[in-house]
Amino acid sequence: MMLYRMLLGQQLTKARILLITGFSVLAIVLALSIGAQVDPANRIESVIGFLSVYGLGFMVPILCLLLASSTLGQLVEDETLVYLWLRPNPRWQLALASWAAAATIALPTTVLPLTAAAAIGTGSQAEAVGATALSMALAAVGYTGLFTLIGLVLRRALLWGLVYIFIWELFVARAGAGAARLSLNTYPHSVLARLTDIELPLAERSMTAALIVPPAVAAVSVALTAWWLDRTEVA
Amino acid sequence: MTGLHPDTATPPAPTVAPPPWPPADASVVLKGVSKSFSGLVAVSDIFLALQPGVTALLGPNGAGKSTLLRLICGLARPSTGTVWVAGGNPRFDADVRARIGLVPQQDGVFESLTALETVELAARLSRLAEPRVEARRALALVELDPTMTRPVGTFSKGMRQRVKVAQALVHDPALLILDEPLNGLDPRQRHHLIELFAELGHSGRTVLVSSHVLEEVERFGSRVVVVAKGRLVAEGDYRQIRNLLNQQPHRIRVECDRPRAMAIGLMALEPVISCTVTDTGDRRLPPDRAPAGPLAAQADSTMSAPAVEVTTNDVAELRRALPVVAKRLDLTLSGVVPLDDDLESVFRYLVGGPPGGAQR
Repeated sequence: MMLYRMLLGQQLTKARILLITGFSVLAIVLALSIGAQVDPANRIESVIGFLSVYGLGFMVPILCLLLASSTLGQLVEDETLVYLWLRPNPRWQLALASWAAAATIALPTTVLPLTAAAAIGTGSQAEAVGATALSMALAAVGYTGLFTLIGLVLRRALLWGLVYIFIWELFVARAGAGAARLSLNTYPHSVLARLTDIELPLAERSMTAALIVPPAVAAVSVALTAWWLDRTEVA
Repeated sequence: MTGLHPDTATPPAPTVAPPPWPPADASVVLKGVSKSFSGLVAVSDIFLALQPGVTALLGPNGAGKSTLLRLICGLARPSTGTVWVAGGNPRFDADVRARIGLVPQQDGVFESLTALETVELAARLSRLAEPRVEARRALALVELDPTMTRPVGTFSKGMRQRVKVAQALVHDPALLILDEPLNGLDPRQRHHLIELFAELGHSGRTVLVSSHVLEEVERFGSRVVVVAKGRLVAEGDYRQIRNLLNQQPHRIRVECDRPRAMAIGLMALEPVISCTVTDTGDRRLPPDRAPAGPLAAQADSTMSAPAVEVTTNDVAELRRALPVVAKRLDLTLSGVVPLDDDLESVFRYLVGGPPGGAQR
């Protein structure tokens, strides 16, 4: 628990708080603006379309990348991992605590403002608000797991994470069905589309798969993080 | 066990069977350990056994000291060979890691935690029953106030260093690995920690201290491990190591009343290579003009005794011959002082000059 608290304490820096605030305010302002400008008959579709692009395409993955990749990545960079690695704890505890610390910040800072944006934009349409909350939460859970692993394994994890988000998720995944299956983004998109009954790109997964895969990605990532911790060389 | 690497010198042929290796009480054993990074050999074919007590790890910068310490702690995987600590492999055995305390060389600490939180975290991760109590005890050992509320990130280098030592000591490890532990400390703190490490060594812990400040190393004790260019050059008591350096002539200062006469007498001896009269004593005032009282003591302390500096390749033979020469020439012998059996000389001979690393 103390390990989790320590890792949690390292998450929120001034720069990150500013970025989270900026993303959140922009989401709400844009959702409000879209909701006000479009025809009421198309309002839900427009706002959900916007949230799928802005929320699932940019805000959630970028904030998760920023928070999760630094959890263990920062320890590697400033060479403090040695203080945790040399202790007789199971590696999975450190991996799980790292993911939990990132998710603890990422979940509320992405889900709450985007859900608020959905509520404001759609006039509190229950299905849209619920679908937004669930899809964003699933995305945040999956992405924090994935980026916690990337932060440990790769140098310049932030850069590689951005490459993944912008090249793979936004372009390659849209090129074909096979690539889309390997895109994490397709699963929360599917939840958002199926619960709101709105057609969205990439939303081709079954509801069951869409609900299972992001947490499974997080679990596998935590397991791989623990495995990597066991084999890595520590400075 | 004292010894030189075969490349360094040819030790005298043993007359009795060598002691068993590794020794029965060795807590750390490295067998044929090498470590390469991208083809660059950092540590090469190290055979080393560490027993309880303080051992100093010496070597110039880039010699492979930190890599060796990382291998012992299990932080790095050997490219070849095996590392055993307390009978297990520290890389994969959590119980072995629980017995290791490490002060790493790098400055990094958990910047946002207080000293007490940092050490308590280490105590909790080490599964201690009373982590806060143990953390306070460890901080007291390094003379840090556990009630300080400042985060460690605001600490001076010396204070950070002491936090690092405290987190390494909190679980009372059987093996303490210290990589340049005195960096950034003021002289009083250095003295305190040297005493603390010596005490831990005396109480049965195995303490391995890496340092490039030879004066400090001498204060840790006489047992050293010397590495250069990734190889183990020598290990054991440094005075004994000096005696094994046969190809390196010894320098002895012989103090007597007529050094010139002594020099002439000694040059006739077989083991003597050269003699240099360093102080003839001529500058000394005759007794009737010498200052008296407190001034006399002051004058004595500023003048060295008349002496001749002898270079020899057989100290024992020289020591046997000296009284004979003195008696034959009717000289008064007042002192025989070895000039190069200190750690600095031994280090210089082993690794080729006071390096970028070693300093006094």
